[in-house]
Amino acid sequence: MSTARTAGNRSVEASGSGELGPALRVTRIVLITLGLAGLAWGAYVLFDSVKPARIPGIALWMGAAIVLHDGVISPLVFFCGILLRRAGHRISGTVILVVQGAIVVGSVMSLIVVPLLIAQSRGTGNPTVLPLDYGVNFAVFWAAVAVVTAAVSFGLYARGRRRLR
Amino acid sequence: MVQWNMRQVMYEAQRALASPVRNPRMATVIGRLLGLAFVLCFGTGLYSHFLQEPLPGMHFATRPELLYQFTQGTHIIAGIACFPLLLAKLFIVFPDLFQQPPVKSFLNFLERASIALFVGASLVQITIGLLNTYQWYPWPFPFRETHFALGWVLIGSLALHIGIKLPIIARVWRKEADDGSGDDDHLTDAVARDRTATPEAVRLFGSSRPTGVTGRLLAWIDATPDLRADATAERAPSGLDTGSASASRDDTADAEDAARTAHTRLSRRGFLTTVGVSVGTVVVLTTGQTVAPLDAVNAFAPRKKGVGQQGVPVNRTSKQADVAADALAAGWVLTVAHAGVERSFSRSELLAMPQTEVDLPIACVEGWSQLARWRGVRLSDLADLVSADAAASFRLTSLEKKGAYRQTTMGSEYVRDQLTLVALELNGETLDLEHGYPARMIAPGRPGVLQTKWLSRIEAMDV
Ligand code: HEM
Repeated sequence: MSTARTAGNRSVEASGSGELGPALRVTRIVLITLGLAGLAWGAYVLFDSVKPARIPGIALWMGAAIVLHDGVISPLVFFCGILLRRAGHRISGTVILVVQGAIVVGSVMSLIVVPLLIAQSRGTGNPTVLPLDYGVNFAVFWAAVAVVTAAVSFGLYARGRRRLR
Repeated sequence: MVQWNMRQVMYEAQRALASPVRNPRMATVIGRLLGLAFVLCFGTGLYSHFLQEPLPGMHFATRPELLYQFTQGTHIIAGIACFPLLLAKLFIVFPDLFQQPPVKSFLNFLERASIALFVGASLVQITIGLLNTYQWYPWPFPFRETHFALGWVLIGSLALHIGIKLPIIARVWRKEADDGSGDDDHLTDAVARDRTATPEAVRLFGSSRPTGVTGRLLAWIDATPDLRADATAERAPSGLDTGSASASRDDTADAEDAARTAHTRLSRRGFLTTVGVSVGTVVVLTTGQTVAPLDAVNAFAPRKKGVGQQGVPVNRTSKQADVAADALAAGWVLTVAHAGVERSFSRSELLAMPQTEVDLPIACVEGWSQLARWRGVRLSDLADLVSADAAASFRLTSLEKKGAYRQTTMGSEYVRDQLTLVALELNGETLDLEHGYPARMIAPGRPGVLQTKWLSRIEAMDV
């Protein structure tokens, strides 16, 4: 196995159980057996409780989720990272990391809040569901992210300047 | 030739995606947390499932009263935490997608297929779970059945995945135990690999540097020397850098090495901090719907404590259940039945019986909860009036015309609990129509969907 390997990119045979002690080897067999049993039971439960006509919809959603992640979210993250690193010509590495981190935190929160805003705009027919001013909260949230990021970045920048002197 | 190009594309993709945080240790560290969150979700989900659909002979704890609020609150908290954790995990292992050759053996094919299933099922599970709490159901399949089955699929996939990856996990753990640092420079690692040409790279490109698009792209990105230099400047004085590799050395190779190491560590620390802050943020801003001290920072939860008729949120409205006419009808009675004996009580007759006051939460399957003060007749008193067996379960029927919870079963442990009431008042007022007027169930430790509103009949079942 001499291919360019990255994170955890070791296949079953590459990481063969030869190097495992007996205890780990037993653990491994137990885990794999239980795992296959869980999968089989899940499949049985699915086909037992969901009408056959509905199953393709589930498969479609799972496929779409993978495509959305691998084809849209990941490349987006990749290119944002490049732009940031590239833009960071004269900025310290730590500040880049802080800005990057802030964008990630804000984006993850947005993943949860944007569907919330959509659901709210569709209406729920129940005034006690989604009762808050989420749009306002969302704006305040991003403003807070920006302020905290600027403050931390400035602190790091000032510290870096002092040290260079 | 085509195959060579394919190999090159795949190699370049992996090379372009290389990052100090994309390594086995990080995959293990984040995987551990994600695995924990999955197990918490599955355990609490199973508990919720069996409360609603007990297997024969199952009995449940009725204390502490906050039990279900706690388990289902945990379900949603751990579930929300899965969003950043799962994305982080997928970020770390993303280059694996471009494994070359795409399939190495039959076993490898099965492994990759199982991972695709694992990823797809995880993403769907957390997405439909979240949207369910918004009461938005944009999918073409039933939520509960699918979420339940996928729960098994996920927990199975998790065990399978850990089993398959155990050699890597064990290696990371052994290394952690050996030197306590968990430093994994000897493990395959994007940055470490950068320095020495892999045989594959040499064969493909004649050097360790990729050429073509990726090479140029990387050269462009890497034209940010300040990034590394500053990283060293930031790190070296803090003493966290490797002691020997101080910036005072002239040796450029060593300085470059030190800068790389510093940059690597900084990236990893930054990554872990980002994941930690993300988890903290999404949890803190959404958990006030069940954890009272966080109510003040409840910015994005689908429910708000105290918002609803009589200060209590509502899951299903009287309109959705289409019960208003029957519930407000003058002739309403509650029928209590056992073995052919039937007794009917009007609301004023119920009010004339001994009243009990209890403080119990409504705890919804959707993860919110609200403590409230209820007043009404003990269910066990009503059960005694029709001489029901102490071990009898009861069937509860609502005025609702349809719906999965129109008719439900309550185990004897709840029927005989002294806190279980047929509630007539809520927070000092006559029960609001939205909360189940004329009478509803309230019992300790049960999901809100089983706290039947708009009661019409309760019947002891054969023991
Ligand atoms: C991978 C993680 C998860 C697993 C393994 C899991 C598993 C389960 C299971 C087994 C149930 C019981 C279903 C039943 O009653 O038949 C359940 C219920 C539920 N889960 Fe999850 N879940 C996960 C993530 C989530 C997330 C992220 C959310 C939302 C943020 C969520 C929301 C719910 C809700 C609202 C219910 C109640 C369903 C009902 O009884 O109507 N789950 N979950």
